[in-house]
Amino acid sequence: MDERVVAPGEEGDKPSRTMLREQFTFTGKAGEYFGIWIVNVLLTIVTLGIYSAWAKVRRKRYFYGNTWLAGSSFEYHARPVAILIGRIIVLALLVAYNLSVQFLPIVGALLGVAFLFAIPWFVVRGLRFNARVTSYRNIRFDFTGGYWGAFLAYVLGGVLAYSTMGILAPIASQWMWNYTLGNLRYGDRPISCDPRLEKLYGQWLAPFVTVVGGLAAMALIAGIAGFLIFSGIVDLSDRFDFGDNPPVYLFVIGLYGAFIPFFLLFAVAGLIYHAGVRNVVFNETVIDSRHLLSSTLSRRRYTWIAVTNFLATIFSLGLARPWAAVRMARYMAACTALHSTGSLDRYFGEVNAVGSATGSEFMDVEGFDFGF
Amino acid sequence: MASDRDRPREVTGHWFAPASSRKHEAKLTVSDSLFLLVRDLSGVELTRATIGEVAVSDRVGSIPRRITFPDGCVFETNDNDAVDRALSGHRRSAAGLVHRLERFHPRLIFVVALVAVAGFSLYRFALPILVEVAVVVTPDVVPVLMSKAAMKSLDQTIFEESTLETGKRDEISSGFAEIAEFSERGTGGYELLFRGGGIIGPNAFALPDGTVVLTDELVELAADDIDMILGVLAHEIGHVHHDHSLRRLYRAAGVTGLILLIGGDIGAGAEDLLIQGSALLTLSYSRSHESEADRYSVELMKRAGRDPAAIARFFQLLVDKFGDQGDLDILSTHPATAARIAEAQRYARELTGQ
Repeated sequence: MDERVVAPGEEGDKPSRTMLREQFTFTGKAGEYFGIWIVNVLLTIVTLGIYSAWAKVRRKRYFYGNTWLAGSSFEYHARPVAILIGRIIVLALLVAYNLSVQFLPIVGALLGVAFLFAIPWFVVRGLRFNARVTSYRNIRFDFTGGYWGAFLAYVLGGVLAYSTMGILAPIASQWMWNYTLGNLRYGDRPISCDPRLEKLYGQWLAPFVTVVGGLAAMALIAGIAGFLIFSGIVDLSDRFDFGDNPPVYLFVIGLYGAFIPFFLLFAVAGLIYHAGVRNVVFNETVIDSRHLLSSTLSRRRYTWIAVTNFLATIFSLGLARPWAAVRMARYMAACTALHSTGSLDRYFGEVNAVGSATGSEFMDVEGFDFGF
Repeated sequence: MASDRDRPREVTGHWFAPASSRKHEAKLTVSDSLFLLVRDLSGVELTRATIGEVAVSDRVGSIPRRITFPDGCVFETNDNDAVDRALSGHRRSAAGLVHRLERFHPRLIFVVALVAVAGFSLYRFALPILVEVAVVVTPDVVPVLMSKAAMKSLDQTIFEESTLETGKRDEISSGFAEIAEFSERGTGGYELLFRGGGIIGPNAFALPDGTVVLTDELVELAADDIDMILGVLAHEIGHVHHDHSLRRLYRAAGVTGLILLIGGDIGAGAEDLLIQGSALLTLSYSRSHESEADRYSVELMKRAGRDPAAIARFFQLLVDKFGDQGDLDILSTHPATAARIAEAQRYARELTGQ
């Protein structure tokens, strides 16, 4: 899949003799995670949501701790209280915003604009928090991105992608991943990520064709149905006798019935795009100028797993969620690898932690992943 | 406990120097007095500390356990059981309790059942209580601000000025003042405004501060039947009296907030579905508000000595004019159905003792 790897000495200044492939693995088990998950849900409900911060830490620790690379696992160190404070702040802001939209529309509109400019700040905080509470082999990650980079990647990128109906989405993806992964550091070692635009557009084509084809098919079906009904070939009126039933429900069902196909179409296209972009982005990510990340997701298989996971979760009333989450994590890990030059063990002897990253998560709050 | 003491409290694992990613194979020994000593395989001491000085990570599933020493070095091991054994007698923390609860065991079936019961009770009992508390602590200025803003934007977008003749207007206003006097808030608690309905046509609605808006089209529809108009206005007074708009707002906020908090555990797709589903449930919730307001109309009209079944006659008029399932039902929140008419008539008869 990845031809670069068999071409030694390509990355210039560090001529390599051998390329070692280290596979990521995920060792979590559905049964084991089920217990953690159901207790998380129970305690979150019983404590009216307060336990959700502790639940998040246990969940993250389970998934990080079961993700292995070269004989070591990742670790998640966040303190639940830090997450709880972050959530309370974000929740309070959301409530204030919603109330002001209700009561004082002009103030609400101003706040909306203010939020737009606050989003990058939250993004930086959130990414830094998440990086600094993550460690691998006793070394924490760090994030060094700034405000304007986040503004470009998350605000302008989002506007660009949505305002052009997804046509410029690859540019937004390029900005976002370049910012998010390119500003990540492992200890004192930099990580670079430069996904090329033409490669991202290569991944954009399949979801684009899916959306266009799907819309055309839906238009055709709607046209035929409309023709049959209005020309009187099919008469629905005697088949559906609404009688006393409140028509408000019918209206709502009709509305949802019309939206669900659109929703599904865009969701599937989004999954295909996401898998393709992850491959491109990871394959262009280099750690400390010498270790190459690689991702070999099959777009079809990834979409299939995501869709069947969702259906299994819904039809089991949520009970299959742990199985689904473990299944996805296992697949993602199996399609991810690190190609390294020389012994990883020797390399890790040289990496040092950076003072600022260790323990400084106390200054950061997280909450961004929630509610925006 | 005795067998615990006899067993060597030794754990094998890895040791990391502070701020270093170099892995050293190592052994941790824990003495009876819970003194921790880490040595490499040749027996050279790497670090030592008392139990009170170290941080032991909570046990989650079977992920590696980390013991962080005061100088910043870390001992890591996959042998969770050995750590628990070695440190037994110490640390019966809440996290350990949670882990024992989480273990895959038939007992989890009861946890699942508890989740179902707790989720249902939260939605059915705790949420209404929280909504009541929120309504009680809401300062009076909030509904006033809310209504002023809503009225202003409605005036700018939908409404036109009323073209009703002054005589008719005065007649309705004095009737309104008369029934409002029998309400809990009294005449001063309510203000009646006349507007041209524009696209919303024949309609009446209440804002949470007691402002009641009546459209010209509804007055025309009711023709000369003043009681019918007052029955509708009494229904709107009922909405204000029961704080329905605040309740709906708080309820939606509470449900959405809880779904967001649990979102990480159920996945993004299921989270979206739940939020959509809860919006659907809000519909049935506002229907219960409608019947509550209907009953209030019957009671208030009775108290004011007018026709208690006036609201039923109004719904009947809507059905006659627009049919049972006209556009009006969808746009307004007052679906006119045979069931509502029958219930209002039944309640009116019950009150008048006929």
